Formats: sequence, C-alpha cells, structure tokens
Amino acid sequence: MASEQQPQSVEETIVFDNVSKFYGEVLGVNRINLTFQAGITGLVGPNGSGKTTLMNLMTGLLRPTQGEVRVLGVSPSQPQNLFARLGYSTQFDSFPGGMTGYQFIYSYLRVHGFPHGEAHNLTWQTLERVGLTDAAERKVAGYSKGMRQRVRLAQAISHGPQVLVLDEPLNGLDPMARAEVIDIFKDLAETGCHLIISSHILHEVDMIADRVVLLSSGYVVAEGEIGGVRTEMNDHPIQVLIRCNKPSTVAARLFEHDYIVGASLHDDLQGLEVQTRDANRFYSQLNEIVINEEVDIETVTVADADVRAVYQYLIGNEGEAR
Amino acid sequence: MTSAAVGSSTKPVSPNTSGLDWGLIARQIAGILRLELRRNLLSRRSFGLYFLAFSPVGLFVIWALSPATEVLSGPAEAVAQVFAPIFGGFPPIFLGYLPTIIFLSALITFMSLFRSEILEHSLHYYYLTPVRRWVLVTGKYCSALISACCVFSVSTTLLFLLICIPFGLGDASQYILQGPGLGYLTTYIGLAIMACIGYGAVFLLLGLFFRNAIVPAAFIWAWESINFILPSLLQKISVIHYIRTLYPIPLPEGWLAVTTDATSPWMSVPGLLIFTALVLTFAGWRAGRMEVNYEGD
Repeated sequence: MASEQQPQSVEETIVFDNVSKFYGEVLGVNRINLTFQAGITGLVGPNGSGKTTLMNLMTGLLRPTQGEVRVLGVSPSQPQNLFARLGYSTQFDSFPGGMTGYQFIYSYLRVHGFPHGEAHNLTWQTLERVGLTDAAERKVAGYSKGMRQRVRLAQAISHGPQVLVLDEPLNGLDPMARAEVIDIFKDLAETGCHLIISSHILHEVDMIADRVVLLSSGYVVAEGEIGGVRTEMNDHPIQVLIRCNKPSTVAARLFEHDYIVGASLHDDLQGLEVQTRDANRFYSQLNEIVINEEVDIETVTVADADVRAVYQYLIGNEGEAR
Repeated sequence: MTSAAVGSSTKPVSPNTSGLDWGLIARQIAGILRLELRRNLLSRRSFGLYFLAFSPVGLFVIWALSPATEVLSGPAEAVAQVFAPIFGGFPPIFLGYLPTIIFLSALITFMSLFRSEILEHSLHYYYLTPVRRWVLVTGKYCSALISACCVFSVSTTLLFLLICIPFGLGDASQYILQGPGLGYLTTYIGLAIMACIGYGAVFLLLGLFFRNAIVPAAFIWAWESINFILPSLLQKISVIHYIRTLYPIPLPEGWLAVTTDATSPWMSVPGLLIFTALVLTFAGWRAGRMEVNYEGD
C-alpha cells in the first residue's frame, strides 16, 4: 500500500499476491495485489465489489482461483497456524442453536484448545469489553441485532488475535455502541493489531481507518492513506476552501498560475473556493500571497480529501455507500 | 463496555507448527465433543435418532403381550426365531433393525454433522478456529458415534429383554445370566456399534459432498440390500458383509444368495475399522478443501 510507514516483513503483513477468485464464471475479485500493514485498514466499495470475498480469502473460508494469500507469513489453508492469531467477525447473522452468549464464546474457546479456567476467564473479559455481561446468560437467539453484532465481535476477539477481520462491524449498532466499538478498534490498533474493516458508512471509515482500499466490481481502484490517494487523483482537482478578508485579491493572484483550475467567490465575499491540480505548489503560492498582499486568513480547508469524496470520484453513485 | 484489555494481554493457543501437539488436539476434540454431544443428544436434531431407535420398542411390547409367545418354548427359541431375524433383516428385502433402523439413524445423525451446520450458516465458527480439518472431522464423527452407540445399546438391550421377559423373569434371567443370552446380547450390541462405525463414516463423507444425499443414500441402501447376491469380491465392498458374518445366530440368506467364503471375525472387525479409517481420511481431506460461503444452501 502507498504508505509512509516503515516497510514490514512478510511475517508482519497480510499479502495478496495476484489473487483472483471466480465463482464459476462470475468474478469475485481479480488480480489483487495488496499488502496490509498493522493498523486499521478500511475496505470500501459498493455491494458486490468484492469486499467480503477479499475477507473470506484472507481467512481461508474461500480458496483463491489463482494467486496466493499469506497472513503474517501463514497460508489460510493452515488453520492450525492461522486462527490462533486471527479473528473474523463475518456478516453471517447466524449462530449455533440454543446457546447463551456465554456458552457461545466459551464453547468455541474450548474448541480452540483453551482449558476450562482460561476459557471461562477470557469469555467474561470479552463479554465485559463489548458490554454484554448482563445478557451473558440469555439465549443469543433473543438478542437484538446490535447485541448479535457485539457477540460476534466478542467471539472474534476472545482469543486475543493479532489480526482482526471485521465485515460491516458497525451495522445495527446504536450511536453509543458504535462509538464504544470504534474505541475498541482504536485500542486494538494501538497494540499493533491489524484490523481490516469493511463498511458502507464512509464517514466512519474516514474517522477510524489509517488506510483504505477502494474496491469496485472485483478490482482495487485505489489504496493507501486517504490524503495520498486523493493527491494522486489528478483527474479531479483538489477543492480548497479559504475564508479570508480579501478573497478577490487572492483569486486574482492565484489565476496567474496554470495549476489553478478554477476559483469562485463565496456569496458573502468573505471567502473563496479554489480548484487546483497541484496542492503543494498551491499552498506555497498561497503563503506568498498572504504575506505580500497582507491577507488575513481565517481558515483553509480541503473540501474533498475524505473517503466519501474519493469514493464519489472513483466509484460514483454506484452502490449504497453513505 | 470497559477498556479491560482483552486480546493482546491474553495468551493465545500456541500451536506446535513443527509437529502434532497431541495435548492440544485432545483438548480441541474434547471441545468439539462438548458442542456436538449436546446437539446430537439434546437438540431437535436428536428427535429422529430417538424416534427411529425406539420405534420397534412399541411393537416388541405388543408382541410380548400377544399370544404369539405361547407357541415358543422359551427365551432361546424366541431369540433365535424372532429377535435374530428382526435384528438382522429378512433377505431379499433389506428390512430389519440393523439394516433399516440403524442404517437410517446413521444417515440422519452422521450426514447432518456438517450438512445441518451449512444449512444453519454456522459452520464457519468451526472453520475459524485453529483446528486441523481432520481433527474437526474426527471430533464430529466421535460425537455422533458416541451418541448413536449410547442410544442403540439401550435400544438393543430393551428389545432383547422384551423378547425374553414374556417367558417369566426366572427363565429370562437364567437364559441371559447362565445361558448364552448375555453373550448374544453383547454381540448384538457390538454389531449395532459396528454398523454405526461403518455407516457413520460413509454418511459423514456423503454429507460433505452432497446437498441432498437421498439419492446416494438410496443407492447405498440398494447396494447393501443386494449384497448377498453379488459376486464374492463385490460383497466385500460393503458394511453389511462384515457384520453379517458376525451374527451369533446365522440367518438364512434366501435362495438367490451367492455362497462365498465367510470372512472370519478376526478379519471382519479390523476390515471394517480399516475401511472406516480410509473413509474418514478422505472426509478429512474433503473438509480441508471445502469452502464456506453458504451460496445456494
């Protein structure tokens, strides 16, 4: 991924090497080359873009038609080596019948191989972390959608994985629970975990993800840090909002340069919106103008450097992202 | 919610990547058994097993109360004339306790081990644990085998007692405890277990390959039914062949039967176990190749 972080070894990253997945003749994902480093990576794309396929390939639920996936140096076809270090909260809203929240987490920790005492302690710690201790002895079948989402998250993190794959983990959560779950993600990322999160809710991806992978129709259309991705999109000039006392002077001076595509004054004549193809040169020029023309600047804001704008430019209105 | 540290502070299972960690595998199988025994014996899934296993009990009670018992001289004749053919089946129609009831129960119990979880969309929880696929197959198979063996041991014992008791507790206890009765009963329970072992492995494998295994199961039932008229070599590719040679009271095979050299008990039991091990190995390989996406299920 386009990142300024220190490059990590294969044992510390998740690598997709020319991976394709076809369902019969239907394309799932095609020729994916990606490296996920520690931190939070958002997978963004419309329905059917290949987000879940990518996650299922990462976790071995699907096998690539072509190419190879390595998670911290381990192939997903070796569950005994992978799943002690990986947790996956899937989109499947289904559970083994007749189980309480406690039994659900505890039983699969026993399948992991944890002895009773450790499994019991981990279960309570995890349920406490996701705020389900009060509902621990209730049947999962009677949980609300948000509670089911949280118990799935609890199951995915209960064994202390280094890699956490989360398919639409914020779906069904109320705003309070959403904020709490996001805090959990941030805590985990700070401990060096890899979090791969898919979401339709773009402003939340923007808020939590260090990097994004944008998918469309099975292809990666962009990847990297949001700012970096936006800067590299030369087809779409960057829009900058400037609030100042001399907007027309600033506009006139900026128009002397060919990397300025357009500028329009705000109705209150206290600001302007500038479109530029070269952000770096624009900012140096703006500094010069401010000094030379004695302009008082109130704010300078990039209007379209978030995930939503990048998504709109690259994928358009396809899908249901919001 | 709290910020209690989970995950990074806990010690995850550390698999021995260089070889098999048998202690860990034993704990994982125990974990699978915990989950599966509950499902096999205490959930809705278990109704079919109980119904089939105990459905003959009512018929045996009616028989025990009927005057039909008066034409028989005692428990020994009743076991030979009634219990043995009902347990072993009546060729050329493949009906009987073992070839029909146990066959169908194994079909329901073992085939649903993977199939029902695919239909419930809950198999991925197993597939996201650090459990080798053959360990998962072994754990699930053992759970179903334990369940079936418990149920059929009780059921076979009940049926055997219902055959003997109409002749009086004295005669019955003398036949069972001082005569050959206990030996016969133990052998019939052993045969029921062997049938579960053999058919169970086959049906577990079918459940990994087929969404609807009625057709392949019907084919196997037909194959087992015509086993006694097949050439000698083909007879050996079946479960019933190995079991039939172990019946303590031999059954007539009908005028169509092809006479073959009987397989000795010393070959039958290991033969069936080797056959089962091969089928389970194949099932483990298949489970390892299987994708979990529930599409079309």
